[in-house]
Amino acid sequence: MKLWVYVLRRLALTIPVMLGVTFITFFLSLQMGDPLAAYVTERTTDEQYDMLAEKHGVNEPLPVRYTAYLRSIITFDWGYSQIAMDDVSNALRDKFAATLELSILAFIVAVATAVPLGIFSSIRQNKWEDHAIRLFALMGSAIPIFWLALFLQFMAATYTDWEISQRVDAKLWYTEPTQIDTPTNFLLIDAIAAGSWIHFKDALQHMILPATVLAYGSMATIIRLMRGNMLDVLGQDYIRTAKSKGLTEKQVTYKHGAPNAMIPTTTILGMGFAGLINGSVLTETIFTWPGLGSWAITAMRSMDISAILAYTLFSAFLYIIANLIVDILYAFLDPRVELGGHLSFAEIAIVSVSILMLIITYFSISVAVWFGSFILLAFIILTVYSIVHRFIKNPDDLWVLFLFLGTSFIVWSILSDYFMTIIYISTIIYVLYLVYNRENVSENLGPKFDEFQRALYQIKKNPLTILGLFLVLSLLSIALFAPWLAPPSETQRDPMRMEEHFEFNQQRNFQPPCYFSCTADSGEVDGYVLGSTDRGYDIYYGIVWGSRTSLDVAVKVVFTGTFIAVAIGAVSGYYGGRVDDVIMRITDVFIAIPGLVLALAIIAVTEDNSIEMLMYALIIVWWPGFTRIIRAEALRIRNLPYIEAAKAAGASDFRIIFMHIIPNCITSIIVIATMDMGGIVLSLAALGFLGFGGGPDLAEWGKLVSFGQDDMLLGSWWGFFFPGLAVALWALGFYLLGDGIRDILDPKQRN
Amino acid sequence: MLEIEDLKTNFNTYDGVVKALNGVNLTIKDGEIFGLVGETGSGKSVTCYSALKLLPKTGEVVGGKIVLNGEDITHASEARLRQIRGGEVGIIFQDPLSALNPVMTVNEQIGEILVLHQDEEIRKLASEKEIPTYKSKKFQASPGIEFTILAFCISFISLFIMLGQFTFSLPFLLVIGMMFLRNYLQKDLPQSALDLIVIDALSRVKLPNPKQIASSYPHELSGGMQQRVMIAMALAGKAKMLIADEPTTALDVTIQAQILQLIKDIQREENMSVLLITHDLGVVAETCEKVAVMYKGKIIEEGLVDQIFKNPQHEYTKALIEAIPKGGKERLKVPDVGEPGAI
Repeated sequence: MKLWVYVLRRLALTIPVMLGVTFITFFLSLQMGDPLAAYVTERTTDEQYDMLAEKHGVNEPLPVRYTAYLRSIITFDWGYSQIAMDDVSNALRDKFAATLELSILAFIVAVATAVPLGIFSSIRQNKWEDHAIRLFALMGSAIPIFWLALFLQFMAATYTDWEISQRVDAKLWYTEPTQIDTPTNFLLIDAIAAGSWIHFKDALQHMILPATVLAYGSMATIIRLMRGNMLDVLGQDYIRTAKSKGLTEKQVTYKHGAPNAMIPTTTILGMGFAGLINGSVLTETIFTWPGLGSWAITAMRSMDISAILAYTLFSAFLYIIANLIVDILYAFLDPRVELGGHLSFAEIAIVSVSILMLIITYFSISVAVWFGSFILLAFIILTVYSIVHRFIKNPDDLWVLFLFLGTSFIVWSILSDYFMTIIYISTIIYVLYLVYNRENVSENLGPKFDEFQRALYQIKKNPLTILGLFLVLSLLSIALFAPWLAPPSETQRDPMRMEEHFEFNQQRNFQPPCYFSCTADSGEVDGYVLGSTDRGYDIYYGIVWGSRTSLDVAVKVVFTGTFIAVAIGAVSGYYGGRVDDVIMRITDVFIAIPGLVLALAIIAVTEDNSIEMLMYALIIVWWPGFTRIIRAEALRIRNLPYIEAAKAAGASDFRIIFMHIIPNCITSIIVIATMDMGGIVLSLAALGFLGFGGGPDLAEWGKLVSFGQDDMLLGSWWGFFFPGLAVALWALGFYLLGDGIRDILDPKQRN
Repeated sequence: MLEIEDLKTNFNTYDGVVKALNGVNLTIKDGEIFGLVGETGSGKSVTCYSALKLLPKTGEVVGGKIVLNGEDITHASEARLRQIRGGEVGIIFQDPLSALNPVMTVNEQIGEILVLHQDEEIRKLASEKEIPTYKSKKFQASPGIEFTILAFCISFISLFIMLGQFTFSLPFLLVIGMMFLRNYLQKDLPQSALDLIVIDALSRVKLPNPKQIASSYPHELSGGMQQRVMIAMALAGKAKMLIADEPTTALDVTIQAQILQLIKDIQREENMSVLLITHDLGVVAETCEKVAVMYKGKIIEEGLVDQIFKNPQHEYTKALIEAIPKGGKERLKVPDVGEPGAI
């Protein structure tokens, strides 16, 4: 297929995905309170209200409202934002330039430093340089962006005289006599165009900290990927060929190794861009950068509905464009890639129906409602028919239904209050089973012990894994022994609530940490070990009990997500076909919206600030990516010869999936689940930091960091430093452990 | 040409040290096709990689002496070794697809070895014919990158138009315009000397339509063509010795014969020495003059091919020759070598 056909096809395929995203945003808008709130003031009369309702079609049936919404989107009538006091499309245009300038600078910095570092690290594999770079990279993934940002801001405020809030010094840029034109609104470029060094310096000074913070996160991902890919590539035959030609080590690495390693790295750059969008939300909020991210957060805090929806939609659009560019880049970098294969009928149908829908919507809402309902109905009937038809034809496949029922049961039980009880009961059953089968077990102990020793050897070789294991174990024991490490007050009803915990400070005042000298002469404790916040919350207490919140959320999200992803991913990948197509399009839609943005939008519009809602939001955000990974693995394994062999031996699909496919992707499942135990806590803390999730005084690390931010003007560094450190150590521990597990379970590493 | 004395190579693994070579002695004379046979894991390939220090990180040469053309290269510097690799000894590997870099064209891959070892030739040809030396089409990108830039520009233009800032999209329009202009200007430039020599090298290995093959990627060629490209590459540096590490194993039978014939022809034309590593005694009988049999990291028997086939001395060699499938009733008879897994 010609490249331009491929590009056209990819562009066409974004239309259905964007339509799917509008479904999500529409669904979100339904969850919100009064859609007319933006237009209503205290003086609005009932009659006026009814007129408004009439005008905005609030009382119409849902299909009509959706179509009207769609039409307003394609005609760029995106509503009015109260925060920006302007039309949403104008606000987007003004703020987008600021965000884009920051992101592009961060992206360039990240790629330009990360690729060489990754290559260097792979050349020095298992030397100290390698360990240092790996630790640096892992820290970039593990350190919460907001924490790094606060830290840099605090340092800059203390030790330099830089102005770091806002985008520029407004007096310098926008008032006479130093005013200059800003035609592009990319201020660095404008300053160069005006030839003014003062303006350039000012813009750069404002930009350098947010850009550093943003770049570090994406840099970390790229370094790790580049290193892994380089190690893979350097073991290939063509590297030996290159050496046999008489090329120097350097030429071999950079001319033959690096271009090949760049291929898989490129695919992740699109993800990296999503990371930038996520990151810009936090960075812009902290540095009061007047971009899209900070605008969106303000909108979410004050329920500026059209702004929230527009931002979600726009992020999705940006992300899709970024991925499109990456895919085309990929096709260029790897000459082997087949550009998409043949056009399937379903694809053409979906794309043409979507385009038709858009065109009809543009001209007439009533026809569009009719058309859309017809298509939707036809789609549902066809789906139900094909599923039922399949089950009638192959009654053996009915187990898939039971699989999904079982998965739903497991997910329900994990999310229910009986989770711990169920864990205890299953542990007891497992121990009983082991005792009952003790002969078999003792027979198998020998080889298991050998494996264990091999694992120990590998752990010993890799000091970073030991560090990770140590961090994880100590944080888990902190969570376990919380009641002894930080005993709650006697009057406290719920130990997770910090509001009621005032052990030695009834005045609720603000104190610095006293570390080990908290004990007075009389032997009584009379201070806060790690200091307190302005409201008198004990930071040490918050960190210790906050570990329980993190553990609770991380375990539940990862477990439920894993069960959902494995069930859907394995079945979808193994059977392929139309069901697979549909599921993949659904995940496409979810993945198209950057994770943090979607989670924020869900929590913001439901106005449910409980920790459970947060958990559901994280699960909704998390499952699609994981499902795709499992599905890709299943698809790969499905085509391997031993599956053919198993089929030839008469194995049922059930047996193949459970005995061959799932055990063969268990390595990736374990590694990803371990790493995401860290990742989930990072997202949780980010949400907490932005003030979403949990009550106002729930012991949660992100929330403590945001209290610390409020106290920064009082000169408190302990308020944000210690809780942020806890998040960073948690994430770092799980990332290191995940990396180590990958090395241990990877048979290729055994030399 | 190549003398190896008492070569010892170890691999350091988790389970301890593996002694891959326990004192290998080999002598290959000028203009001779020398076969090295043995079963998988007997150390055939390790011998040739040790000779040129191309071992993986875990392996190291722990003893012995390697002499090439009267020069002791056992402790030669890395720079000297690089001159030897490709310049004096060319290597062909087993699986041509994985041995060729997937993201470089044949032209680039052969060109590389020429630039390293045949620089003078290229310059001479360039000054004779008055054409550019290396790159005539310096900025000619593959269609891929052009469309990438195009797509990039188009998406930005659409983005800015959507945001109502048409002025921002002007620079991207300019880029598109420049791309078309450049294409127009660079339409017909003469071929460089390097290109001519690459095409010459490809036609030496009897590839049809060498011009087209030079501009294609390895995965676009068939297995036999890939192996011919490998051979062209190994010969391009005007090497006096060719090491062929199982050159026919990954190919099907009809192609095998063609490739072997090609190696034989080239050897005769150039009077090269060839070290042919294989586990196929049939290949040895067809191609080689002398043969050595390896077993467990040692050479257990060495001699002229006729001699070895007619009158094998060592038990293992006898068993190997017995194991060749023959026509007639005896074809299913499996020889009893004593140790399981020996063959």
